[in-house]
Amino acid sequence: MTDNPKKRPIRAPDLEDEDILEAMQEITGYLDITPGDFKEVYRLAYRRALERLSRAVTAKEIMTREVVSVATDTPLAEVAEAMGQRGVSGVPVLDQAGKVAGMISEKDFLTQMGVLEPKNFMSLVARCLKSKGCVALPIKKQKAEDIMNSPAVTVGADTPVKEIAAVFTAKGINRVAVTDSQGRLLGIVSRGDIVKATMLGGKS
Amino acid sequence: MRGNFFRKMAGTTKSPPGVGFMEIFWSWLGAFLGIGAVALINYRFVEGTDLVLLIGSYGASAVLIYGAIKSPLAQPRNLVGGHLISALIGVAVYKLLFPHLWLAAALAVSLSIAVMHATKTLHPPGGATALIYVTGSQKIHHLGFFYAVLPVGAGVIIMLMVALLINNLSPKRRYPEFWL
Repeated sequence: MTDNPKKRPIRAPDLEDEDILEAMQEITGYLDITPGDFKEVYRLAYRRALERLSRAVTAKEIMTREVVSVATDTPLAEVAEAMGQRGVSGVPVLDQAGKVAGMISEKDFLTQMGVLEPKNFMSLVARCLKSKGCVALPIKKQKAEDIMNSPAVTVGADTPVKEIAAVFTAKGINRVAVTDSQGRLLGIVSRGDIVKATMLGGKS
Repeated sequence: MRGNFFRKMAGTTKSPPGVGFMEIFWSWLGAFLGIGAVALINYRFVEGTDLVLLIGSYGASAVLIYGAIKSPLAQPRNLVGGHLISALIGVAVYKLLFPHLWLAAALAVSLSIAVMHATKTLHPPGGATALIYVTGSQKIHHLGFFYAVLPVGAGVIIMLMVALLINNLSPKRRYPEFWL
């Protein structure tokens, strides 16, 4: 959380002059404001509202608390099984003290299974279809700690959602672990959690 | 740089839409009754005395408080505050600068605008109220600071009461947007 990703202004949906003129016509009475002035006010107000909303909501309000996690010495077969059963594309890896040691995502599996620069699961499918079967399993005996991304990207419970979104964009990741001051796992915030929170007006 | 200076004169947006027939009607009715009330009292009771009630800047106020009632410029704070502040400034400037009337006229209006801005009471007819005192007759000048009470204070209160009554008769109108 030390790097400060460059600020990208969020733009309000564009309004046409016609939209504003028609809206002004719907309001009976003379409004002494031009459509141009209104557009300017709207643009600035929209940006402020977005900033206020995203500043107000913090990680602990939108994080998923019941998280499936694995240990550093969990065999990869079990890691994959856990991810499959829960339908998640990433899990945190905890050390013996319960601290977050790293994260494993689908992408890490793909990389380990010989797919160079994996974009998604289809990279693996393509590789399987082009070669004689998918026996590229040098990872069968490996454990979670061998392929996990470490150290994990973590945020505090009070980190604003806006900053988390910036971390996602800056690091090209899809989830962060939320930890307490000792580094113990409290939950996970994924891109989906942010989308859900936005839909519900900030309440999870 | 110079290109931009002249380009700004071309304008950037469209004029706001016009209003419907009922809006025109209510604007007319309010202005007729508001100016009518002040004028009636003026010509029936005040005319012939040393006092005045009807001054030209009320015509401009009527445009705002009966014709553009949503405008911030038309709200009670601006109507009353703008006229009173400008009246006092007009009288003070005239007293201080007489007989340099050109300077008094320029300062009365420009100072009124500045102080109305500073006090969030900007009301365009205020500028006229200040100017009317400077350019006024012997009769007006005889009033001194009482100019701010009568005609200005009294006339403005009558116009405001008519605005409160008439502007709220229409189901589609409401006045004011705010008081303070």
